[in-house]
Amino acid sequence: MTAKTTASGVAYDMQGDKPDLARRDAAMQTFVRDFAKTAAIHMESCVRCGMCATACQYYVTTGDPKYTPINKLKPFEQAYHRHVGPFAPLYRLLGLGSNVGIEMLQEWESLLFDACSLCGRCTLACPMGIDISELIKEARHGMYTAGLVPDRLELMDRTAKAWGSPATPADDFADIIHDAGEENDVPVNIDLPKADYVITTAPAELTEHTKALTDIAKILNKIGVSWTYSTEGFEASNIGYINGDLDLQEKMTRKMIDNALQIGAHTLILPECGHAYGAARWEAARWYGKPIPLRIIHMTEFLGELVTTGKIKLKPIGETTTFHDPCQLVRRGGVTQAPRDVLKALGLELKELEDHGSLGWCCGGGGGVVSNTRADPLRFKAFELKKKQVEDTGAEHFVTACGQCRITLTLGAKKFKWDKKVESLLELVADHLVD
Amino acid sequence: MDLLSFARGPALTFAMAIFVIGVLWRLIGVLSLPAWRDDSPPRKGAPPAWLSALQAILGKMIPHKTFLKEGMFTTVNGYVFHIGLAICVFAFAPHILFLKSLFGFDWPALPNGLIYAAGVITAGSLLAALVYRLANPVMKLISRGNDYISWTLTFLPVVTGLAASSHIGARYETLLALHILSICVFLIWFPFGKLMHAFLFVFSRGATGIRFGRRGAQL
Amino acid sequence: MKNVQSLGALMEERGVSRRAFLKYASYVASLMALPPAAAAAMAEGLAKARRQSVIWLSFQECTGCTESITRAHSPTLENLIFDFISLDYQEVLMAACGEAADAARHAAMADNKGKYIVVVEGSVPTKDGGIYSAIGGVSNLQMLQETVENAFAVVAVGSCASFGGIPKANPNPTGAVAISDLIGGKPLINISGCPPIPEAIVGSLSYILSFGKLPELDHLGRPKAFFGETIHDRCYRRPFYERGLFADSFDDDGARQGWCLYKVGCKGPVTYNACATLKWNGGVSFPIQSGHGCLGCSEPNFWDGGGFYRPLPTPLGATGTVLAGAAVAGAALGLGASHLARKHQKNYLAAPKSEED
Repeated sequence: MTAKTTASGVAYDMQGDKPDLARRDAAMQTFVRDFAKTAAIHMESCVRCGMCATACQYYVTTGDPKYTPINKLKPFEQAYHRHVGPFAPLYRLLGLGSNVGIEMLQEWESLLFDACSLCGRCTLACPMGIDISELIKEARHGMYTAGLVPDRLELMDRTAKAWGSPATPADDFADIIHDAGEENDVPVNIDLPKADYVITTAPAELTEHTKALTDIAKILNKIGVSWTYSTEGFEASNIGYINGDLDLQEKMTRKMIDNALQIGAHTLILPECGHAYGAARWEAARWYGKPIPLRIIHMTEFLGELVTTGKIKLKPIGETTTFHDPCQLVRRGGVTQAPRDVLKALGLELKELEDHGSLGWCCGGGGGVVSNTRADPLRFKAFELKKKQVEDTGAEHFVTACGQCRITLTLGAKKFKWDKKVESLLELVADHLVD
Repeated sequence: MDLLSFARGPALTFAMAIFVIGVLWRLIGVLSLPAWRDDSPPRKGAPPAWLSALQAILGKMIPHKTFLKEGMFTTVNGYVFHIGLAICVFAFAPHILFLKSLFGFDWPALPNGLIYAAGVITAGSLLAALVYRLANPVMKLISRGNDYISWTLTFLPVVTGLAASSHIGARYETLLALHILSICVFLIWFPFGKLMHAFLFVFSRGATGIRFGRRGAQL
Repeated sequence: MKNVQSLGALMEERGVSRRAFLKYASYVASLMALPPAAAAAMAEGLAKARRQSVIWLSFQECTGCTESITRAHSPTLENLIFDFISLDYQEVLMAACGEAADAARHAAMADNKGKYIVVVEGSVPTKDGGIYSAIGGVSNLQMLQETVENAFAVVAVGSCASFGGIPKANPNPTGAVAISDLIGGKPLINISGCPPIPEAIVGSLSYILSFGKLPELDHLGRPKAFFGETIHDRCYRRPFYERGLFADSFDDDGARQGWCLYKVGCKGPVTYNACATLKWNGGVSFPIQSGHGCLGCSEPNFWDGGGFYRPLPTPLGATGTVLAGAAVAGAALGLGASHLARKHQKNYLAAPKSEED
């Protein structure tokens, strides 16, 4: 893998030693095979109105038209019209719409990976209802098979293949849980052969936010259910889902879910992570071809249920707060109300951001952007937008429900010397649990 | 055969035939592709798919306010020429009679003065749209030949219609023939360019509506 | 027969005062929208003119045009016309018939060589050598060619002569054609209409008599004075068209209110004639005023214009069947396209050979 630059001066990374044409062919073949009915309808439907640009934080903060969401799909779109569309034979016959070349793919790598967090705000803006975010996620499949993904993301991919997680080797998992339990003085369950609830984790919990590991334990112990962490299937984040590595996406999903089924759990709790929700809640069934006999819920949904059914009581904080809605959880995932129920139960007065709920701005780091250091300048521009909106609320607390959002916002705060602390919903609940 | 008889006769029949062939070819060509089945459980209380689709189809007519900060011109001007075109096409007596000959029923017409006013406003609005497409950096980058051809073939019927009704530029029969011929070209191009969005928006919005509806997410 | 006396002298003989003569000239001049000075010029021209020899040929026709011109609304004026001209051959009006009539025609042709006007009523059949209309064994085609050869000008009266008319309507079994298709080169004026308004015939002839040339003609050879504007542009019901008020069927509420007849088939917008201003029967009425849409009878192919009761915007041609066939074809192409696409998806680049740009 090497960092390169195209003739036009665009940076790209390239992995493996396939010759250029073979890479291009791999991408094209993957692109072409990715199109089913819905994607095809969307590819036919763009009227070039430009509304998607108004929604994208990378365009709005830089003014660079190349970040227009539909523009990011250009090679994918060209592959569609030339090979899958109803007039594809005509396109090929008349030589319309040039075939995608290796240079174009190299140039588009950063548009697809650096300048898009898969946040889906563009989907909400499109008058034709084109799910641009979903299409970009699909386009990444082809880029992966071509070996044209950002080096950092490819590194995480290889790590996940080797360790079962991009954060930590599976062998270390049990130790991390035990250490956290001891440090925070909370009893933890690890590798129980049978349990009703299986708790999964994301890299953020295993590295920076280890307190979260015992926060959920505390709550589960309080409500007295049978639960366990499990070495065989702990990783809920899915780097394959983000990179376009479909094989890895399937592997990681199956490992987690098969393990939960084997343990006989009826509920799998996903950590405070955005893309984990998308991969497990909405895309897992795809690998099984039928409904999975397992309830898959996000940490926030779980907490929301606990507070609204009165299963846990919380000590009111009595201050103001604002909330960053993680894109994959709220806008793409539908979990808008649960975090608000929890904030209310925490006795926090919610001062909504000017753009909140489904319309909230992305933290700028999703979809692998925060791990892709080449994208830092773009990420910081997006952060400035969030910072302003948070400051405009005048709220004392700043809470979110996704570990990667938290990391992204914290990194941004550090860069701009902003003293606002980014807090986790789970931590607040655990810290204010009434005994 | 004189130009008007040609336009009203073989030209129009040919154009309508190509229109029907092309629209069905493109729609069925896309809608008969296999769809991935979604086996994930919908959110509890999610509406039935058809309702989610309908909500998306209707709801997306009004953009979210936050996008109007930069998208105001596109949205407002877009509505002006769409509504203007709708008035000119569907509320003008001769057009209503043309559609009646195809579908068998008609409806009351608006006074011609209002139609002419709508036509002028529509022409102005379309010109504004073209200027915007050429001048705005985002638009300029993403626009293709398709967009300019579609614009031209939509603009020509409007101006030839105005010219015909005001008898400006040539004999009335010639202007009417040119107007009808401009519609013929419009109909022939329709299925192959972005004008097809007139049919596609139902399915495109509907599909995303269904996806979001089952997730309980707001579109 | 031969007459060297000038018209002015003739009128004076008949006791028609100079004043009456001038009055007539002013009337015709204003009818044709000529400037005021033209009236005097017309009177002078007419006074000096010799009685013009006119040969009126009748071919594939219904005689309606003859009927129209003889429906004089002001007998005095029409008689003047018949006194201005020497109608040397007219099958309906002349006393002679058979060979005697034919002899009169040939005599007029010989006596007025190069100076007589040929008026033609009806279309000429050309199929099978033109045998479908013959007089005394002579086909119309032949009669036209021999009569027109030494004529000064040709006046095609009625839509049949001007454009082919009813006989030319689909399927045109006799191969009927307009006079203009046959006489190439001779000055021709088409006074179309089925039949034409009497004043249109009379006014045009007067113009030729007075000025010795044809009046200003439109691209179809019709005098602009009578055919320069559409019925639609002069129709008294036009305000209702503009307001969107139409009769939906005959004798419905709208029809009784005198609303626009566009929806019941009026072809006014594409028909050039003077019916809406001059009207018929001395200005009594015209079809629209009597509640029936304009047929477009002064236009070419009005019989094949889609139908008198089908509104103008109705497309011509069998659209129903064509579109049904198109729908089937489109659906088939669509299914074929998606089938091809699915196959292509499987096979594309499956073999390790890449597609060059």
